[in-house]
Amino acid sequence: MAYSDKVVDHFNNPRNMGSFKKDDADVGTGMVGAPECGDVMKLQIKVQNDTIVDAKFKTFGCGSAIASSSLATEWLKGKTIEEAQKIKNTDIVQELNLPPVKIHCSVLAEDAIKAALADYQKKTDGQPTGTK
Amino acid sequence: MDNQQSPPHPDTRRQLQMARSMCWHCQSEVTGEYFCDRCVKVQPVSKETDYFTCLGFPRRLMLDPKKLEAKFYELSRTFHPDFYQTKSADEQTISLSNAAVLNTAYRTLRDSIQRAEYLLALETGSVKDIRTSPPADLFEEILDLQDTLEEYRASERDSDQGHRLRATLQTEQEALERRKEGMEAQLRQLFADWDKLQDAGEATSLARVERDRILKEMRDLLSNRTYVNNIVNDLAATIA
Repeated sequence: MAYSDKVVDHFNNPRNMGSFKKDDADVGTGMVGAPECGDVMKLQIKVQNDTIVDAKFKTFGCGSAIASSSLATEWLKGKTIEEAQKIKNTDIVQELNLPPVKIHCSVLAEDAIKAALADYQKKTDGQPTGTK
Repeated sequence: MDNQQSPPHPDTRRQLQMARSMCWHCQSEVTGEYFCDRCVKVQPVSKETDYFTCLGFPRRLMLDPKKLEAKFYELSRTFHPDFYQTKSADEQTISLSNAAVLNTAYRTLRDSIQRAEYLLALETGSVKDIRTSPPADLFEEILDLQDTLEEYRASERDSDQGHRLRATLQTEQEALERRKEGMEAQLRQLFADWDKLQDAGEATSLARVERDRILKEMRDLLSNRTYVNNIVNDLAATIA
């Protein structure tokens, strides 16, 4: 079974790899893992005026997990918190053409997005940051 | 056309899925383990039969590997398709599928980690029902190590930097291997706790609390062990 071209592209040229300081007030961090395969994913968002201005990830896992999180960070940039909530793992599956055995990688990416958003919202307690 | 194996008759197929208690061939009640007492036909292992029952063991986590192997060999001979070549097509189908179930059952139960994963799935319906709290500290460590690994892969192996990174990774690998061993020791303790609880067979609320504690701790430990195991393998492969 071969990976789709898009997975290979994200794997070879991962977008937005890296991290932000997780204690910064405008940063939300999502740290999730898949106990079944042992993959670990960290996804972070930087938010200003309710909009995600930047996103970064670090993933330890298979090609599909890396591609899923790389794609997620691309999609997150420029979205509002509300729009970001709507990203579904099925969107990732479709875009990357993931086979059934790799669907859990996209689920992991969705969980990471949700966790990052929740972390940010917990920090701000509903108050938008970055407004000056 | 003639030498093509005919699929089991639809009626037979329906009967195969029926309760184990009735013989698919003579419809008399089956009290024996795998054969009808009356017509001596082999009986299919039901899809609902769990692997412990299939191999004739109780749901315990400290199984004697020798006894498990002996039982597996015994049943392998019982169901071996070679012994059914002169029997009817139905019996051949049953022996083949029984042999397949038996192989999977043995493969799962002979490894103590897989056995525990399987028991968890049985006892909790789905493993995902027990929500584990992600071990954030362990994840941070794994991702940091991942960075060091990348640095090492990009470095000149024979340079000072390469040597330094390699030494760091080696130390980390040893530390993680010790941690994995620690987790496995904790798991063995939980396995013993589980067996003790099952042997006592009490239905008190205290026993239920203990049961939930064991399953939850086992779930967390098994997950964390998988994370550690993966990074250890990655480290070993990179600096080998």
